[in-house]
Amino acid sequence: MALSSIFLPLPMPKLLSSSRSHRLLPVRASSAAPAASASFDLRRYWTSLIADVESELDAAMPMRPPESIHAAMRYAVLPGAGKEGTAKRAPPVLCVAACELLGAPRSAALPAAAALEMLHAASLVHDDLPCFDAAPTRRGRPSTHAAFGTDMAVLAGDALFPLAYTHVIAHTPSPDPVPHAVLLRVMAELARAVGSTGMAAGQFLDLAGATALGEAEVMQVLTKKFGEMAECSAACGAMLGGAGPDEEAALRRYGRTIGVLYELVDDIRSASGNGKMRRNASVLRALGMDRALGIVEELKAQAKTEADRFADKYGDRVLPLYSFVDYAVDRGFELQDAAATP
Amino acid sequence: MAMAFHPLAASRVRLAPLLPAAAPSSSSVAAHHHHHRRRFSAIVATAAPASAPTVFDFNTYMGERAETVNRALDAAIPAGEPPAALHEAMRYSLLAGGKRVRPALCLAACGVVGGREAWALAPAAAVEMVHTMSLVHDDLPCMDDDDLRRGKPTCHVVYGEPIAVLTGDALLSLAFHHVASVGSYPPDVDPEKHPARVVRAIFELARCIGSEGLVAGQVVDLEMTGTSEVVPLERLEYIHLHKTAALLEASVVIGAIIGGGTDEQIERLRKYARSIGLLFQVVDDILDVTKSSEELGKTAGKDLATDKTTYPKLLGLEKSREFAEKLLSDAKEQLAGFDKEKAAPLLHLAYYIAHRQN
Repeated sequence: MALSSIFLPLPMPKLLSSSRSHRLLPVRASSAAPAASASFDLRRYWTSLIADVESELDAAMPMRPPESIHAAMRYAVLPGAGKEGTAKRAPPVLCVAACELLGAPRSAALPAAAALEMLHAASLVHDDLPCFDAAPTRRGRPSTHAAFGTDMAVLAGDALFPLAYTHVIAHTPSPDPVPHAVLLRVMAELARAVGSTGMAAGQFLDLAGATALGEAEVMQVLTKKFGEMAECSAACGAMLGGAGPDEEAALRRYGRTIGVLYELVDDIRSASGNGKMRRNASVLRALGMDRALGIVEELKAQAKTEADRFADKYGDRVLPLYSFVDYAVDRGFELQDAAATP
Repeated sequence: MAMAFHPLAASRVRLAPLLPAAAPSSSSVAAHHHHHRRRFSAIVATAAPASAPTVFDFNTYMGERAETVNRALDAAIPAGEPPAALHEAMRYSLLAGGKRVRPALCLAACGVVGGREAWALAPAAAVEMVHTMSLVHDDLPCMDDDDLRRGKPTCHVVYGEPIAVLTGDALLSLAFHHVASVGSYPPDVDPEKHPARVVRAIFELARCIGSEGLVAGQVVDLEMTGTSEVVPLERLEYIHLHKTAALLEASVVIGAIIGGGTDEQIERLRKYARSIGLLFQVVDDILDVTKSSEELGKTAGKDLATDKTTYPKLLGLEKSREFAEKLLSDAKEQLAGFDKEKAAPLLHLAYYIAHRQN
């Protein structure tokens, strides 16, 4: 059934063994220290945001009866102490950054940022189930179904979806400064991103083996599984920050591009031995390494073009947007190190 | 002690215990509603539903609402957008027929507080999506492992397990998207008050189906399954108040919110919904031991076969029927303060839930 879970050896090693460093070099070189990074420390920004998001999530899921389900929900959302335990929290970070770009307070976006993480975790919990990927581990420890049982994992996912909405409603400062109508748009956006035309579509297409087909299909899976979620993050941040229609549209395009870029670079790094092997390595098989690196450059240029639209109006506040693009490509630092040193 | 198991009740209203300390005599309960003086136990036992001799035509009401809701559900699935097979699986589960009791409750609750039923059509469709989602996941092999639902093969039997998981997730998301979207509502909603009402409705819906609502009921039910110990009555009530009543509560409460009901009206309707929610499950337990699979459209006798604790098992069939009568009269009491004509649909929905044959 799950075509994508059948592991096939990659035809990459031969290509990579001779030219890995060369092939990755241009990518790294092109992102080396733009003037912006001197005045903006992404690592510090990201680390402080993760701390805010973690405490928001921790408070959102107190232990209460029935304890088993709440323990499973916390397990799925909150990182453990394992080697790869620190979650990068990219969706909430992007959401808050978009909101702060527009000059709005972080507190307006934090509840939605936490909700994004709950929805994201819910999708991952279901995606790891034995009938899907049958992933035994996630973030360096047993996946939720491995730790709590398949039935509890299904229910933990089912409960995280509604928790995301109650959390946004209970904690977003509304109706002032966020009007009810905006709150409704945010919730519709969250629901759309994980629904049948968003992330669920990506999981479905992945399941159906679309990544084995061709470039168009591969990009479709990446766009749905990862681009939609990142677009949603940026769009929610935009709405909560009071963006105008043009600004919202630009941040949507930026978010979507970043989401795909981030994942594609992950896949390239996995295929070239820099990270853990994952099934999405099939993306590389379908695209070929040359084309994949070409797409990385295209996405990078697109994301920077979208960020450029804000440079004049918002000055230095646009720097996080640029730095995410660079980080997506060069992964200049490890966040678990950053998170460990407050 | 008991309240520790009642977060739904604790967070909102304090209900008198739903279980009668001593079962009231059936005649005294029904006496002041002379249209329905027939003993409840007799009604459940007979094949023909009791027809209430009032001007309100329940069957027509339900038929029209089901048609309207089915049209809304059909239109809500993004037709023509890929992936077609996922949308097909959603349609298969969502448009499989069914009585549409939850949407009808939502629409009727909107009407009883003075709203136009059309205002609550999107929330009504949403509660049916949530209900369907819970059934699709409930039927999975890792949960109840059911092959038959509403007389048809279940979603995972037709489409496979992973797609059934995704179908449920997608229906849940669609429900919230549908309620939150401005385009789901008619143009005559109050532009000042409507957005705040929708926000409150989403909060209620999400709370009632989450880890302190529907899912809590499923979890405690799962934990009870397979153990040889007899489930105590209060635990059984907890399961049903959450697993079944919570979504009926959401249906009624969000209908009343969208309809512009006062807080006092909303809380009365919440109590009404909790009573008929528990009633729904008591009747379900009774039907499971008294009806065949053909009559039910699902596997009969499953509770006995799986050694599940039910009301008939704990109380006996006759006491279960008396309990059902008590719940029906509790529900009717909550409707007493409303306009009689406007409350007719909710009154008859309560009768319907008590008297249904499948």
